[in-house]
Amino acid sequence: MLRSAFPLVFQFPHRRKPPPIPPRPPPVRRYASPAAAAAFPPLPPASAYVHLPFCRKRCHYCDFPIVALGSSSPFPRGDGDDPRISDYVRLLLREVAATRPVSDDGVPLETIFFGGGTPSLVPPKLVAAVLDALRGKFGLSACPEVSIEMDPGTFDAAKLRDLVGVGVNRVSLGVQAFQEGLLRSCGRAHGLREVHEAVGIVTGCEGLQNWSMDLISSLPNQTQDMWEESLRCTIDARPTHVSVYDLQIEQGTKFGQMYTPGVFPLPNETDSANFYKIASKRLSEAGYQHYEISSYCKTGYECKHNVTYWQNRPFYAFGLGSASYINGVRFSRPRRMKDYADWVQKLEDGTWCPESSTSELKDMAMDSVMLSLRTASGLDLHRFSKSFGKNLTLSLCTMFRPFVESGLVIAMDTERQALQLSEFDVDLENKGDTGSRVAFIRLSDPDGFLLSNELISLAFGIISP
Amino acid sequence: MATATAVSRLAVLAPGTSPLAPGRRRPAVPFPTVSRPRVLSAASRGRVLCLAASAPASSTDAGQDRLQKVPITNIRNFCIIAHIDHGKSTLADKLLEMTGTVQKRDMKQQFLDNMDLERERGITIKLQAARMRYVMNNEPYCLNLIDTPGHVDFSYEVSRSLAACEGALLVVDASQGVEAQTLANVYLALESNLEIIPVLNKIDLPGAEPDRIAQEIEEIIGLDCSNAIRCSAKEGIGITEILDAIVTKVPPPQDTLKNPLRALIFDSYYDAYRGVIVYFRVIDGSIKKGDKICFMANKKEYVADEIGVLSPNQMEADELHAGEVGYLSASVRSVADARVGDTITHFAKRAESALPGYSEATPMVFCGLFPLEADQFEELREALGKLQLNDAALKFEPESSSAMGFGFRCGFLGLLHMEIVQERLEREYNLNLIITAPSVVYRVNCANNETVECSNPSLLPEAGKRRSIEEPYVKIELLTPKDYIGPIMELGQERRGEFKEMNYITENRAKLIYMLPLAEMVGDFFDQLKSRSKGYASMEYAVVGYRESDLVKLDIQINGEPVEALSTIVHREKAYTVGRALTQKLKELIPRQMFKIPIQACIGAKVIASEALSAIRKDVLSKCYGGDISRKKKLLKKQAEGKKRMKAIGRVEVPQEAFMAVLKLEKEVL
Repeated sequence: MLRSAFPLVFQFPHRRKPPPIPPRPPPVRRYASPAAAAAFPPLPPASAYVHLPFCRKRCHYCDFPIVALGSSSPFPRGDGDDPRISDYVRLLLREVAATRPVSDDGVPLETIFFGGGTPSLVPPKLVAAVLDALRGKFGLSACPEVSIEMDPGTFDAAKLRDLVGVGVNRVSLGVQAFQEGLLRSCGRAHGLREVHEAVGIVTGCEGLQNWSMDLISSLPNQTQDMWEESLRCTIDARPTHVSVYDLQIEQGTKFGQMYTPGVFPLPNETDSANFYKIASKRLSEAGYQHYEISSYCKTGYECKHNVTYWQNRPFYAFGLGSASYINGVRFSRPRRMKDYADWVQKLEDGTWCPESSTSELKDMAMDSVMLSLRTASGLDLHRFSKSFGKNLTLSLCTMFRPFVESGLVIAMDTERQALQLSEFDVDLENKGDTGSRVAFIRLSDPDGFLLSNELISLAFGIISP
Repeated sequence: MATATAVSRLAVLAPGTSPLAPGRRRPAVPFPTVSRPRVLSAASRGRVLCLAASAPASSTDAGQDRLQKVPITNIRNFCIIAHIDHGKSTLADKLLEMTGTVQKRDMKQQFLDNMDLERERGITIKLQAARMRYVMNNEPYCLNLIDTPGHVDFSYEVSRSLAACEGALLVVDASQGVEAQTLANVYLALESNLEIIPVLNKIDLPGAEPDRIAQEIEEIIGLDCSNAIRCSAKEGIGITEILDAIVTKVPPPQDTLKNPLRALIFDSYYDAYRGVIVYFRVIDGSIKKGDKICFMANKKEYVADEIGVLSPNQMEADELHAGEVGYLSASVRSVADARVGDTITHFAKRAESALPGYSEATPMVFCGLFPLEADQFEELREALGKLQLNDAALKFEPESSSAMGFGFRCGFLGLLHMEIVQERLEREYNLNLIITAPSVVYRVNCANNETVECSNPSLLPEAGKRRSIEEPYVKIELLTPKDYIGPIMELGQERRGEFKEMNYITENRAKLIYMLPLAEMVGDFFDQLKSRSKGYASMEYAVVGYRESDLVKLDIQINGEPVEALSTIVHREKAYTVGRALTQKLKELIPRQMFKIPIQACIGAKVIASEALSAIRKDVLSKCYGGDISRKKKLLKKQAEGKKRMKAIGRVEVPQEAFMAVLKLEKEVL
């Protein structure tokens, strides 16, 4: 089926000999203790992130690697492709082709995520070409999760149908707000009308059950009423998943120049914290689970791809500025198109190999803590202890004790039932030896999540004193 | 070299028949005795050229002859007295440039301020000197400029460098007028019988009022200003007039060549390769390279391995005579052995008496210095040791504190001295320090009739164990235009000063005398005095002894934990104000944490001031985009690093800046 949708023009003949096999990356985790190595067998990645950087224009808060196209044809669907897009996809396909699968016995991909940018600006046949390439290279599992980010105003029903037709089965809709004024002041390329249209298209699309709505809180001039309204509209649209991002003012963005965090027109810290709490409350009331700091879902609709990240599992990544985690090495591709193209060339020539500085044990422990504490599942103490030692685990617990007491941190048993402080204390005194009941620790919702940076950086201080 | 030496001897013996007769070009002769690279660069260019005094082009060339001896009647030793920013350094630069002492291309601004710190702050800490050659009416003169430090902390050093001169340029900004710093030093100069040449600087500025300022100098200092020189050091206006005035007005040194050697040390510094380099002025007799010498106050003997002049780089010479200024190196191990004010004499032919005015350095202000990271303790010890090699006034001994770990209790001449030492430790030795509030030495009369000296609030015997506390008092003399008598008396009152007397020294100026606790003066008293008198008041002080006072120990508690480093000893009546100021400042400076934090000031168990820091509500990075955790991790790591730089007071993380700012505040409010 996909073959037929795949125009010949994308079957690039191999102009050069297959690239020499790059030198095998040095043994993973050189500095890791045998215990750590045992806990993290070098799993082959089952996820792939694909960056499609094109946007109509840059939003005022955005500092991702994107390519602004300007307001060209609204729904590019195959004919009259923007050469910038097709050239880029060509490059992307070269990267996929030049990438060496981690395992030869072929672990198929279970999740693929098209992120951007605004991937919905890319013609479906090009998305199909990428999917095809990934399938050819790594294989796809029986029912993989294939997500794509879409912005209101960049697609119509037909385009979405085409995307679903080529295998996309999850949509992440970048709505951000339900107020015309807020959308405009963020520099979004769409208005409220497009939002409602897009919601209609997505909910009316046959064969698409799984979709997510993205919202941003703490926008300039956003009031509590506006936020409540956005949450209400979101709940009314009945997405299976909601992502709520707290506006981050990044340096070098327009917002970065215009605003100071916590200073009007941005909400102050109290209001901003309040927005977070309201979201947690309203969405929970509506039956969503707050499974990660900024993610909510109906039961069973977690974003499997993102869960890969939180669980510190490996994943491939392709495209401009994208970050992969393969063989224990995290690598971010160049953020500028020219540099990225040069890098792809090197990859093909076999003259690039991942930096040999594999993660140290400390760094892996930090990754593990910072990622798992973002989730409601929390940090698996037994696993952590196995990998990084009982002493470190105990020090972490000791450091967290006052926060267990104050309710920012929750200790849980194997069934993830919250434990009393006294039970936590017993375990601390036992040094986790016998009859230990504390199996997980997590940050509480919403108070612990709200202070996650503080709490995680405290943990970092313990891991790397 | 032999030729050159012979030439210089000749010049001394027969000035009239100098082989370097004006107008006659002499073939280039290599510069005498050049042994060090830093001199080499200047000297390799250096040539003894002709002395064509009249031609401006060659007047710079004449500067190259500055090693040549001139008769003592042609030597002029002078310094420059000026308020900060009145253009002392710029003028000094211009003088060096005009006399060809420093070639224009080597000119960096403010040549005499050697330390980065000096150039940055525009103050002089270490003294410098420069020998210049100037030809007037076909007669070569040797001018020695001796730089003076300009701060009250260093008034002893100032007095010694004045004692090495016969004259002084009093530089006053023609729009600003006479200011405090100037006055104190002018009086010192007048006491030393220096000829003072008033110079009105910055006449090129639009606001300049040289006539009014000249009148002001006449009224305030009582100096005849009819011939005051008007100049602009920046624009190079009036520089020749200044040089001429130095020659005509400043008296030559007394001809005491035949007397036994007496040379006044006016500065010294430690050189890692050569040991201490001593700057001195020969008052009587002469000193030769290789002479066995003796420092009269410290009674140690040395051999002058090397002597020379400062111009402003060191240039070796064989012999220096009465009236000349130079340096020597004699394998002296520490500057404490070559203390400013000491007298150098010959070992074999000792002078009968030392030069007057010598005094030992007595630290007046103490504070604790703690390394931010405990493993820097040894480095700090080493760094202090090295600074001490070069700073006879710096004293230190180990100290430990539960909040701050191991560190040192250090003694300084004053607050500026303290700040300078701290900055040099941080800048030159890369140490991160926490500095406790400065304090003085208290005498505690204990219940068991013992008397304990205590300069560290955290070591003060408990309230129950002490009968009384005595504190050092100073007698302070304030000179001020009459308009500021009111504000200054208020200041005296606020600082627990006891008014002694006031009298008008001129119609417009008054002298006030107060007895003041030293602790009240180690704070920002001097700054306050300047700001309340718009800079016109000046002060001098001397420690007069100890007196009993109603003093209490004020403790700061953060989240219920006492912070020893922030403890202070204050007068009971001031405890409340100080306590409030400190708690408020801490509230501003301690970053909010995940719980509410009470901040209290206490005397014993009694809380006298209290603030509360509310808890942080939100600190979350929501988006973790496309699995790229690296940026987020970097941020979190940075945050974790930030926490490391904090000192944990119980559960509360207090950043170093908070300590610093509070300690600074303590200086201000105490």
